[in-house]
Amino acid sequence: MTVPLERVLRAFLEDPTAPRYGYDLMRAASLHSGTLYPLLARLEHQKLVASAWETPQREGQRPRKYYRLTSEGGRAAWLELARAARHQGAPGRLLPGTLAPGRLAPGPLAPGTLG
Amino acid sequence: MKGERALLRAGEYLVGFACRRLPPEIQGERYREWAAELPAILHDREIRPAPYRAVRMLGYAADTLRGTGLMPGRGRPRLAGTASPLWPGLLVVAGSVAVVWDVRDTVRAPGHWVNYVQLAWALFLVAWPISQYAGSTVRMTGLIVIGGGLAGLVVCIWTAVQAPGDWVNYVSVFLLLVLVLVWYLVRRWVRTGQA
Repeated sequence: MTVPLERVLRAFLEDPTAPRYGYDLMRAASLHSGTLYPLLARLEHQKLVASAWETPQREGQRPRKYYRLTSEGGRAAWLELARAARHQGAPGRLLPGTLAPGRLAPGPLAPGTLG
Repeated sequence: MKGERALLRAGEYLVGFACRRLPPEIQGERYREWAAELPAILHDREIRPAPYRAVRMLGYAADTLRGTGLMPGRGRPRLAGTASPLWPGLLVVAGSVAVVWDVRDTVRAPGHWVNYVQLAWALFLVAWPISQYAGSTVRMTGLIVIGGGLAGLVVCIWTAVQAPGDWVNYVSVFLLLVLVLVWYLVRRWVRTGQA
């Protein structure tokens, strides 16, 4: 698992049921658009993330695309982060933002194809 | 913000340019998604001062160009304005001939700085069409740096062998090695997001 992927998963897990839009995730995960969107596309392709367009609230407003973790994606995210924490010898450090950055152990999220 | 309309238009142009590198079936959706964030960034009150918001917005738009090279299911990129591999192929062949020629000239006259400039340009001619077919702009930069660095190393090692007593050749080899190493570290930093 790469560091950008870890950050995105942590951002999603801050509130797993809340839909997040691209710029919101960029800020939460401190990633650039060129890193985030390919990552989201891959997660969506693997059905770990689902997306939906918002309904414009007023005329002329551009609808945004919202992303949220699927139930399978939520399980995979927790498993991956737990695995990463174990790999770093800190099983208790699972809360978002508490893991030290670095390359993490490969897992079921198809390492090398994400992030 | 003053000039907001022009800024948004510039951002939309960059996003549109990036989306043209995507397969046609997803171009429209990606454009709508990415362009919808532009006004949000431009109006983000948490980013101050206002000119910085404009820079962030344009940075966001420009970085989507990098992102298109990493998107899954992205079609094989083509050189702008070309429909067949003829022109890139010709460029590679011409560039390769130029590289061989310039390496020869550089080895013959290592003190003549123009040869090095010509060599760098010839390497660019080879690296650019290859990178257009192989992947992203990051790869293009990588090819140029690695190609240029290795060619320079060969030239410097050759001149060092020719004149083993000249310490300048060893310094040149060292500097080129450092250049390649720095490029590798920077690329690693960009990929992992850590220093």
